[in-house]
Amino acid sequence: MELADRAVGFLLSVISLSIFTYYTFWVIILPFVDGDHFIHKYFLPREYAILIPVVAGVALLCFLCAFIGLVMLKSKKKA
Amino acid sequence: MKHIVKIITLLVAITAFWIGLLETALVPRSYTWLLPVYFIVSLGCYGLLMVGVGLMRFPTCPQEAGLLQQDIAEAKKFLKQSGIDVGSE
Repeated sequence: MELADRAVGFLLSVISLSIFTYYTFWVIILPFVDGDHFIHKYFLPREYAILIPVVAGVALLCFLCAFIGLVMLKSKKKA
Repeated sequence: MKHIVKIITLLVAITAFWIGLLETALVPRSYTWLLPVYFIVSLGCYGLLMVGVGLMRFPTCPQEAGLLQQDIAEAKKFLKQSGIDVGSE
Protein backbone atom coordinates (compact mmCIF):
# COMPACT_ATOMS: atom_id res chain seq x y z
CA MET A 1 0.00 0.00 0.00
CA GLU A 2 2.77 2.45 0.76
CA LEU A 3 4.19 1.80 -2.71
CA ALA A 4 0.98 3.09 -4.31
CA ASP A 5 1.13 6.15 -2.03
CA ARG A 6 4.75 6.78 -2.93
CA ALA A 7 3.97 6.40 -6.66
CA VAL A 8 1.10 8.90 -6.46
CA GLY A 9 3.25 11.33 -4.50
CA PHE A 10 6.07 11.02 -6.99
CA LEU A 11 3.68 11.56 -9.91
CA LEU A 12 2.25 14.68 -8.26
CA SER A 13 5.74 16.12 -7.66
CA VAL A 14 6.80 15.43 -11.25
CA ILE A 15 3.65 17.06 -12.63
CA SER A 16 4.04 20.14 -10.44
CA LEU A 17 7.75 20.56 -11.29
CA SER A 18 7.13 20.18 -15.03
CA ILE A 19 4.27 22.71 -14.95
CA PHE A 20 6.50 25.13 -13.04
CA THR A 21 9.47 24.84 -15.41
CA TYR A 22 7.26 25.04 -18.52
CA TYR A 23 5.49 28.14 -17.21
CA THR A 24 8.76 29.80 -16.12
CA PHE A 25 10.27 29.13 -19.52
CA TRP A 26 7.16 30.45 -21.25
CA VAL A 27 6.82 33.70 -19.31
CA ILE A 28 10.39 34.65 -18.45
CA ILE A 29 12.91 33.06 -20.81
CA LEU A 30 11.10 32.93 -24.15
CA PRO A 31 10.86 36.72 -24.74
CA PHE A 32 14.66 36.87 -24.72
CA VAL A 33 14.99 34.19 -27.38
CA ASP A 34 15.17 35.19 -31.08
CA GLY A 35 11.94 35.02 -33.04
CA ASP A 36 13.09 32.30 -35.42
CA HIS A 37 14.57 29.87 -32.89
CA PHE A 38 13.13 26.36 -33.17
CA ILE A 39 12.06 26.31 -29.49
CA HIS A 40 9.14 28.65 -30.23
CA LYS A 41 7.41 25.72 -31.94
CA TYR A 42 6.87 23.98 -28.59
CA PHE A 43 5.22 26.93 -26.86
CA LEU A 44 1.81 28.44 -27.58
CA PRO A 45 1.46 32.20 -28.25
CA ARG A 46 2.01 34.28 -25.15
CA GLU A 47 -1.61 35.37 -24.70
CA TYR A 48 -2.39 31.78 -23.69
CA ALA A 49 0.06 32.13 -20.77
CA ILE A 50 -2.54 34.34 -19.08
CA LEU A 51 -5.68 32.77 -20.54
CA ILE A 52 -5.05 29.20 -19.40
CA PRO A 53 -4.40 29.93 -15.67
CA VAL A 54 -7.31 32.40 -15.53
CA VAL A 55 -9.70 29.91 -17.18
CA ALA A 56 -8.49 27.16 -14.85
CA GLY A 57 -8.93 29.42 -11.82
CA VAL A 58 -12.45 30.44 -12.85
CA ALA A 59 -13.36 26.80 -13.52
CA LEU A 60 -12.05 25.80 -10.09
CA LEU A 61 -14.06 28.59 -8.42
CA CYS A 62 -17.23 27.55 -10.27
CA PHE A 63 -16.70 23.93 -9.29
CA LEU A 64 -16.19 24.85 -5.63
CA CYS A 65 -19.32 27.04 -5.54
CA ALA A 66 -21.40 24.35 -7.26
CA PHE A 67 -20.14 21.69 -4.86
CA ILE A 68 -20.90 23.81 -1.79
CA GLY A 69 -24.35 24.63 -3.18
CA LEU A 70 -25.11 20.97 -3.82
CA VAL A 71 -24.05 19.96 -0.32
CA MET A 72 -26.16 22.72 1.22
CA LEU A 73 -29.19 21.66 -0.83
CA LYS A 74 -28.78 18.03 0.17
CA SER A 75 -28.50 18.85 3.85
CA LYS A 76 -31.56 21.10 3.69
CA LYS A 77 -33.64 18.41 2.01
CA LYS A 78 -32.87 15.89 4.75
CA ALA A 79 -33.69 18.24 7.65
CA MET B 1 -7.88 39.03 14.43
CA LYS B 2 -4.10 39.55 14.50
CA HIS B 3 -3.53 36.84 11.92
CA ILE B 4 -5.71 38.42 9.27
CA VAL B 5 -4.09 41.81 9.90
CA LYS B 6 -0.72 40.21 9.15
CA ILE B 7 -2.01 38.63 5.94
CA ILE B 8 -3.60 41.88 4.75
CA THR B 9 -0.39 43.80 5.50
CA LEU B 10 1.56 41.29 3.45
CA LEU B 11 -0.86 41.63 0.52
CA VAL B 12 -0.74 45.44 0.66
CA ALA B 13 3.08 45.35 0.72
CA ILE B 14 3.21 43.04 -2.30
CA THR B 15 0.72 45.24 -4.21
CA ALA B 16 2.72 48.37 -3.40
CA PHE B 17 5.90 46.66 -4.58
CA TRP B 18 4.19 45.62 -7.80
CA ILE B 19 2.82 49.13 -8.48
CA GLY B 20 6.28 50.57 -7.75
CA LEU B 21 7.79 48.16 -10.24
CA LEU B 22 5.22 49.27 -12.82
CA GLU B 23 5.97 52.93 -12.32
CA THR B 24 9.77 52.89 -12.28
CA ALA B 25 10.08 50.31 -15.08
CA LEU B 26 13.16 48.52 -13.69
CA VAL B 27 12.08 45.42 -15.60
CA PRO B 28 10.29 45.55 -18.99
CA ARG B 29 6.61 46.50 -18.70
CA SER B 30 5.28 43.24 -20.17
CA TYR B 31 7.02 41.26 -17.40
CA THR B 32 5.49 43.37 -14.66
CA TRP B 33 1.99 42.79 -16.00
CA LEU B 34 2.49 39.04 -16.00
CA LEU B 35 4.07 38.88 -12.53
CA PRO B 36 0.90 38.37 -10.39
CA VAL B 37 -0.38 35.52 -12.57
CA TYR B 38 3.08 33.95 -12.46
CA PHE B 39 3.16 34.12 -8.68
CA ILE B 40 -0.28 32.54 -8.33
CA VAL B 41 0.64 29.71 -10.67
CA SER B 42 3.94 29.12 -8.89
CA LEU B 43 2.14 29.12 -5.51
CA GLY B 44 -0.24 26.45 -6.78
CA CYS B 45 2.70 24.42 -8.07
CA TYR B 46 4.47 24.75 -4.73
CA GLY B 47 1.39 23.50 -2.88
CA LEU B 48 1.12 20.51 -5.20
CA LEU B 49 4.82 19.77 -4.71
CA MET B 50 4.46 19.85 -0.91
CA VAL B 51 1.51 17.45 -1.09
CA GLY B 52 3.47 15.09 -3.34
CA VAL B 53 6.57 15.17 -1.12
CA GLY B 54 4.46 14.64 2.00
CA LEU B 55 2.78 11.64 0.37
CA MET B 56 6.15 10.16 -0.55
CA ARG B 57 7.58 10.55 2.96
CA PHE B 58 4.54 9.41 4.92
CA PRO B 59 5.65 6.93 7.64
CA THR B 60 3.59 3.76 8.09
CA CYS B 61 4.88 2.63 11.56
CA PRO B 62 4.56 -1.16 11.12
CA GLN B 63 5.42 -1.83 14.80
CA GLU B 64 2.60 0.41 15.99
CA ALA B 65 0.23 -1.37 13.60
CA GLY B 66 1.21 -4.74 15.11
CA LEU B 67 0.76 -3.45 18.68
CA LEU B 68 -2.62 -2.03 17.72
CA GLN B 69 -3.76 -5.39 16.35
CA GLN B 70 -2.67 -7.04 19.60
CA ASP B 71 -4.67 -4.49 21.59
CA ILE B 72 -7.74 -5.14 19.44
CA ALA B 73 -7.47 -8.91 19.92
CA GLU B 74 -7.12 -8.52 23.70
CA ALA B 75 -10.10 -6.20 23.90
CA LYS B 76 -12.23 -8.55 21.78
CA LYS B 77 -11.35 -11.53 23.99
CA PHE B 78 -12.13 -9.63 27.18
CA LEU B 79 -15.46 -8.32 25.92
CA LYS B 80 -16.48 -11.75 24.64
CA GLN B 81 -15.86 -13.17 28.11
CA SER B 82 -18.12 -10.52 29.57
CA GLY B 83 -20.78 -11.59 27.11
CA ILE B 84 -20.87 -8.50 24.85
CA ASP B 85 -21.37 -9.06 21.14
CA VAL B 86 -18.17 -7.94 19.37
CA GLY B 87 -19.59 -7.88 15.84
CA SER B 88 -17.32 -8.69 12.88
CA GLU B 89 -15.21 -11.77 13.51
